[in-house]
Parts: sequence; C-alpha cells; structure tokens
Amino acid sequence: MDTFALETRTRRGVTAVWVVMLLSSLASLVASFVLSVEALTLAENPTADLGCNINAVLSCGTVATSWQASLFGFPNAFLGLVAEPVVIAIAVAALGGVRFPRWFMVSAQCVYTIGLVLAYWLFYQSMFHIGALCPWCLVITFATTLVFFEMTRVNIREKNLPVPRRARKGLSSAVEANLDLFVVIAWLLVLALLIVLKYGAALFA
Amino acid sequence: MSTQGREKSREMRAARVAEMAREQRRHRTLRLVGAVLIIGLVTAIAFAVARSITSDGNQEATGTVVVPAHIEDRAFPVGRANASVTLDLYYDYMCPACGAFEHTNSDDLTRLIEDGTLRVNLHVMSFLDQMSQGTEYSTRAANAYATVVDRAPDRVWAFHTALYANQPAKGTDGLSDEVIAEIATDARVPAGVADTFTDGVHQGWVVQSTRDANDAGVSHTPTVTINGEAFTGDWSTPGRLAEAVELAAADGQG
Repeated sequence: MDTFALETRTRRGVTAVWVVMLLSSLASLVASFVLSVEALTLAENPTADLGCNINAVLSCGTVATSWQASLFGFPNAFLGLVAEPVVIAIAVAALGGVRFPRWFMVSAQCVYTIGLVLAYWLFYQSMFHIGALCPWCLVITFATTLVFFEMTRVNIREKNLPVPRRARKGLSSAVEANLDLFVVIAWLLVLALLIVLKYGAALFA
Repeated sequence: MSTQGREKSREMRAARVAEMAREQRRHRTLRLVGAVLIIGLVTAIAFAVARSITSDGNQEATGTVVVPAHIEDRAFPVGRANASVTLDLYYDYMCPACGAFEHTNSDDLTRLIEDGTLRVNLHVMSFLDQMSQGTEYSTRAANAYATVVDRAPDRVWAFHTALYANQPAKGTDGLSDEVIAEIATDARVPAGVADTFTDGVHQGWVVQSTRDANDAGVSHTPTVTINGEAFTGDWSTPGRLAEAVELAAADGQG
C-alpha cells in the first residue's frame, strides 16, 4: 500500500512538473513574440522609439534599442521564438506519456542552461547598465527560471544527468522530498526583491 | 534461508532504515531553513514595497507647490504673445529623446521665436527621476529651470537649451548641482539666482507640472503639439518641425 501511495504521488508530481513547464514556456513564447514584433516595428520606424514612455522604469525605448538587446546581431527575442516551441513540444509529448531518451534530455538541459545564462545576463544588464526594465523581458526571466528548474527536476528524477553517483543519490532524494521547490521559490523571491529595491519608488508611485 | 543469511538481511534492513531516518531528519532541517529563508524574503519584499509607497506619499504630502511667477496656463511661454503659432512642448531634462529633439530642432525653434512667428509653451516633467542613480536629476534640473522662470524669465530659453546641450547620459548620476549652476551662469542667468537652485523651492510645483501633463494625456516625451494639435511628423529629420510651424503660420494668415 505504501509503495502504491508513493507511486501515485510521484506520478502526480511528474504531471505537475510538465504542466508548469508547459505554462512557463507558453508565457515565454508570448513574451518573445511581443518583443519580436516590437523589434520589427522599431526597425521599420526608427522614430517610434524616440520617446520616453511615462511609465519609465519599465521602458524608455531604452531596452529595445540597447546593443544588449541584439547580442547576436538580431533581436534576442528571436531566440525565444525558436527555442520555446521545442520546450512546449517536449512538455506536451511528456504529458501524453512519451519518454525521451537520455541523450535527448541531456541536450535539452544543456541548451536550456545556455538560455538561462543569457536570460540572466540580460536581466543583469537591464538592471545595472541599461537602467530600465521591460515587463515582457521580466516575464521571460521568471518563466525561463521555472522551466530550467522543472527540467532539472525531471532530469534528476530520471537520473539523466551525468553526475557522480553519490551526488546523484543526494540530489534525487532531495527532489523526492520536494526540496527543490524551496529553492525555486526563494530564487524567484530574490529576483522580486531586487526589482522592488531598485525600482520600488517608481513602480508604486 | 540460513540463520546467518536471515540475520545479515535483517542487519542490512536496519542499516537502511537508519539511513533513511537520517536522511529524513536532514531534509526536515533543510525544509525548515528553506521556509525561514522564504518567510524572510517575503517580509523583506513587503518592507521594501511599504517603504517605497510611504516615501512617495511623504514626498507628495510635504512638497508644497510654489508656482513660479510668469507661468501661464501651467506652462512657461517663450516668444511673443501675438505669435501666430503656438507650440507646446512636454519634456524631461533626463529624457534622451528630448535631448535628440533639442539637438535637431532648437536652432530652428530659436529662429522662429526670434522672428515672432512662434511661441513655445514649456511644460517641464520629472518622471525620469529614477534614471539618475538616486540623484533625481530630472527634479533638480526642472527645479533650476523653474527658479529661472521665476526670477530671470528672459534667460529661460537660453538655460533650457544649454541644459540639453550638456545633457547627461541616462542612468548616470546626472549633472551635479554645481554644474547646473555653472551652466545657468554661462547662459547669463544672474549668479544670485543660480545660487538658490539648491533650495529646491519649486520641487513641489515640478511634481504638480508632471501630474498636469499626465492629466493632459501626455504619455511620452517629447510630446509636441502645434496650435493644440499633436505633431505626429518626424521631428528627428532636421527642418521637418520648422516646416510644420511655417505651414501653420501660413495657414493662420491665409
């Protein structure tokens, strides 16, 4: 009976993981789409950005026109348009019962880690160098974090990650005990705190 | 199964149970640490939010509004009262786009003001205060401007254009109070007037002016209207704005 209870609980946990991943990647895709459209409008009509929106913390045409916004020579949001549908497909397939081979999940984890690093680099740049936040970029930062954690959780649980045996055992028992949940929540709260500390006065004016 | 074997498996089971219990204790501790951390973070966020809300409330409550002399209908008019065209300009001294606007058009505007065609109503705003690392450059610059409006109205246009000619990059500390005063005296604002910038007499009015602009539906800067109608042309191309003003002047006469 005990094993049965454990199994159903675990399975329900797995479904929740994929659902969160699906919703987060959908949010990222929407945000990437909006940002891509903005980038195109800007390119078509350069004067469109020659203005400071009154709600200035959140944009001054500054984020979109900074060099950081087109790190590879095209708007970063295009990367989201390419990558997020893959995540959505993985999540939907997994919800439908598909199990992916180990190499596939490990590659997905690698690529997504790069995405996470890029998202945080942009967050850092917009916080400390561009001096403006854009709401859609924040959606991407938060959603990317969630997807990254969910993907890592899945990979730890399915023992896909090439880590030493001892570490693997510790990690999977920590994930079974839902300790990762605390990490994600604390992480997202730290982000929120940073934003409030830096832009609170302007946000709640 | 032999007794020995049974014993061995019992030992193994006992070891596993002990191991699991240890792990559970460890997880419980970690969860506790996590919960405390999360509660701490939530509290910190709540405090930060509360502080930013109250600090704003204070600012509005204590900021007595001292309207500078020579303000007419919420703006400072530059140019002759009988000019045929009126241009209203909403701007913030920190706004890079406003800087670009001035860079491209201020010579044209000066010419049109001087030949009596144009009257420019200046509507100052300070919504970009958070773009100067906490030094509130927008407010300091706008207060300096308001002081000049009040006490040296014939130097306003020169000071206004000089502030933009020396505009700091957004996200920097902005110009220091000393530099602002220097720019003013270079624009032949009397030193006695420039010395009073730091008193911040008109800061409350600057907040008021920003709010008035918001209420008038201004959603970005620079916002330009010509004879009350939004100018939607391309002000970033030299001469376009002047053309629009001249056209409006010709319309007014014809």
